[in-house]
Amino acid sequence: MKLTKTKSFKAFAGPAWTENPINMQMLGICSALAVTVQLKTAFVMALAMTFVVSFSNLIVSVMRNIIPSNIRLIVELAVIASLVILTDEILRAYMYDVSKLLSVFVGLIITNCIILGRAEGFALSNPPHLAFIDGLGNGVGYGSVLVSVAFFRELFGSGDIFGYSVVPETFYNAGYEDMGIMLLAPAAFIIIGLMAWLQKYLTTRDEE
Amino acid sequence: MPDQLKSIGFALAMCFVCGVLLTTAATALQEIQQKNMLNDRRKNILRSVDLISREKAYTPDEIARIYRENISKMAVSADGTIVSPDLAGPDKNLLPLYLFTENQNIQSYIIPIESQGLWGKIYAYMALENDGSTIAGFTVYKHSETPGLGGEIDTQWFQEKFEGKKIIDQTGNFVAVAIAKGEAEKKVPDQKLPHYVDGISGATLTGKYLTQGLQKTLSEYEPVSVAFRKNRLRCRMQEEQPWCETDETDQN
Repeated sequence: MKLTKTKSFKAFAGPAWTENPINMQMLGICSALAVTVQLKTAFVMALAMTFVVSFSNLIVSVMRNIIPSNIRLIVELAVIASLVILTDEILRAYMYDVSKLLSVFVGLIITNCIILGRAEGFALSNPPHLAFIDGLGNGVGYGSVLVSVAFFRELFGSGDIFGYSVVPETFYNAGYEDMGIMLLAPAAFIIIGLMAWLQKYLTTRDEE
Repeated sequence: MPDQLKSIGFALAMCFVCGVLLTTAATALQEIQQKNMLNDRRKNILRSVDLISREKAYTPDEIARIYRENISKMAVSADGTIVSPDLAGPDKNLLPLYLFTENQNIQSYIIPIESQGLWGKIYAYMALENDGSTIAGFTVYKHSETPGLGGEIDTQWFQEKFEGKKIIDQTGNFVAVAIAKGEAEKKVPDQKLPHYVDGISGATLTGKYLTQGLQKTLSEYEPVSVAFRKNRLRCRMQEEQPWCETDETDQN
């Protein structure tokens, strides 16, 4: 069997590309606007989100046969919230500066609709290994959009990449200026819009 | 009925497992987190007196070294006397104060600020120059204001506006420093401009609470500011236990 035909591959590639949570399903936009001013924060946020969504999927999937269905949403939320608090504690211990920059947005991963959506829609009805891979796929799909948006915002907004300035001094001397709007939320809207358009175009062209 | 019992049992077990897990994590990481917070507070103290720049990254060791070489933690009594916290003994309503000294001369004194905010407390440092009236720097190190609105109080552009502002008016009366509702130049008369900084749009209440907090804290420290203003302080910083005394004879 070819790798691209396996269930695991589909569980990963679906959310990572064809059903990308941000570009195709328009989920999780809030945090995508807030933490994409710099690549560093976007990257850490993507890692945190991937960790939470894959492990919440795994845990919910392991327990899927014993969770009483009348309290399943509360149980899912308890799993997600515990993982998010754990992530927050770890960030505050080992990446204090980044965690200060991310401020409330780490805590707000709890309310990110991607996570509860995957727990409810996928993990409850699939075996643990597929659920975990689906979580990874969603994390990568979400993270890749976040990092690309942050790349453009940091490059055009402050002339940096990962905090190192890349726009040569001669450009500034020749009259080039950083785009202030890139540092504000509307810029993220515009970039996400353009990316969604590009991806829709590419996927429909493939189908034809 | 057994179904409901099962649900309750499951929920209780869930609570127990999550609770134990999070408590373990929080306790295990507490020490490192507190170290980070101490380092962050020191970084902000140094930043308020321009000893370190915002653009450069410093290791915790560098921060600790620069802090040790330049800053001494003191205490102030209600009448404005500065004493070493070790000599002072317990309590007696002492306020904490940090001194930035260079060649045994006090360059500026740094006041820890704890103000009410819109959603939670705002923690900051305000450095005043040794003339007792000019603000040398202002840094916010902890707050829970709305990101993008009130949260802007921890940005450089807002904090830089405080530099050079005066906490006393031309006749020498204490007025503290306030945050204007909008652009200070348009909102306040010219003669009051030295006591106002530009507000943040969308963060009127944060500005209001911080103004109140600054007013309250600065008035508590007014006795020590008066001592600096009248140039009455005699300090021995080079000694093992640094101390200051107030010279009673009027210099003017």
